[in-house]
Amino acid sequence: MSKILVIEDEKNLRQLYKQDLELDGHTVVTAKSAEEGLRKVETEAPDLVVLDIRMPGMDGLEAMGRILDQHPSVPVLLNTAYSSYQDSFLSWGADAYVIKSSDTGQLRREVEELLSGKRVGARRRPGGQPQAQS
Amino acid sequence: MARTKVILQDALAMVLAGGQGERLYPLTRDRSKPAVPFGGIYRIIDFTLSNCLNSGIRKIFVLTQYRSASLERHLKMGWDPVMSPELDEWIFTVPPQLRLRQSWYQGTADAIYQNIHLLEDQRPRHVVVLSGDHVYKMDYAAMLRCHEETGAVATIAAVDVPVDEAHAFGVLHVDPRARIVSFQEKPEQPEPIPGRPDRALVNMGVYCFDTRALVRALVEDARLPTRHDFGHDILPRLLRTGDVCAHPFVDPDHRPLYWRDIGTLDAFYQANLDLLAERPTFDLYDEAWPIRTLSQQLPPAWAAEGAVLRRAIVGPGCVLQGTVNGSVLSPQVRVGAGAVVEEAVLMDGVVIGEGARVRRAIVDKSVRIPPGASVGHDAEADQQRFTVSAGGVVVIPKGAQLD
Repeated sequence: MSKILVIEDEKNLRQLYKQDLELDGHTVVTAKSAEEGLRKVETEAPDLVVLDIRMPGMDGLEAMGRILDQHPSVPVLLNTAYSSYQDSFLSWGADAYVIKSSDTGQLRREVEELLSGKRVGARRRPGGQPQAQS
Repeated sequence: MARTKVILQDALAMVLAGGQGERLYPLTRDRSKPAVPFGGIYRIIDFTLSNCLNSGIRKIFVLTQYRSASLERHLKMGWDPVMSPELDEWIFTVPPQLRLRQSWYQGTADAIYQNIHLLEDQRPRHVVVLSGDHVYKMDYAAMLRCHEETGAVATIAAVDVPVDEAHAFGVLHVDPRARIVSFQEKPEQPEPIPGRPDRALVNMGVYCFDTRALVRALVEDARLPTRHDFGHDILPRLLRTGDVCAHPFVDPDHRPLYWRDIGTLDAFYQANLDLLAERPTFDLYDEAWPIRTLSQQLPPAWAAEGAVLRRAIVGPGCVLQGTVNGSVLSPQVRVGAGAVVEEAVLMDGVVIGEGARVRRAIVDKSVRIPPGASVGHDAEADQQRFTVSAGGVVVIPKGAQLD
């Protein structure tokens, strides 16, 4: 069982991700802003961070830079409604990039894969397509 | 030529100017290494920036860090006026922004990584990464053309040096098409160039990258516990992902050109003296490749009736009454009657008192050598008072008071 930190400003999505990831057997803590998320990375020591990009205040890309500065081995999954961020250089540091959907299937699959240690470190490739899954 | 113009317009230079320069201490006590005065009227960074200007690269970020006030002043006053922002030509100094890390730059690659937002904003096709502390004259446009032609993800300027000096550098091995097949960073036993047992091909720290390949390598490296160094980490990583080519730094007859990494006091001293040769290996008087700097409004140099001047560089505003032999004098140096200056580097405003003797020394700004005093003639006495380099050169720091 792993501890996942979900940083997401939309309340409904926070609850949806928490519920679904808990169904997969994980402990889920949530933060409703990047600032709160950065504090919880320290206090909760999560095994993985699910991070929204567009949020009021600090955005997810800046938050990711700060998380990786202190905890470079913690996998970060960027989860956003916008595919355009895939071209942002900063987003290339993420371990996975998932486009938001009402179906949490892809998010959960990526979470499992990252937690299983099959993918470590920055694996995003420019062009935006996730690596072929083995 | 039109093609070259397009390549240059889509290129951006990032000049690494943040090193502490500990091995140049005490010259770096009050300034960063790129800001150390050199060759009479220049600062070391002027050579890299002149190369950019002469090559047609007019978008330049200078990444500063330690003790940057002197460097920033020099760039602001000497280089800002040259660029034309209305034509999208500029030179910006960028101190650490602490956006991605809450720390100083951890290595050369980390300096670029921490400024990745600059590349994000500009989105150049190519990034030229340069060091602010090298003395050489190089056409980066030719390197960019070579980079485009080969389709490499990165191109590294390479110069051949005596094999017994190569341990201080990254040693490259290339195939007949100049593609790098292996790379050893500061090896104990450098491998020579095949067929030339006395020479080795080394990395000059002058790079041309495809921006996307560079960024990818930087963000991957940033996650790992490496030194975040181009030579140690980024080049080996890029070699695994695509072709990396060497761009030989040679003249039309394939002889290696002059390039010096001003890493130590002795390297600094010798590179200054290299300028004095009858046929200098590094020619400041080449009108085809002007080296520019911040010039000051000063009167011309003047020599008195009894002054003797041999093999010397003399800056404006100097007043010479004694003997100057094999030396480099910055502006406004005064050499009193009967004084003898030999094989010395005297920076701005140094005063050599009457009858004083200065030999094999670097004298930093505004130092006054009292009349009759002696420097560089008694190793034991010098060592008690001053820094003496491994090669025996006496260094008198800025503002030092001598009895």
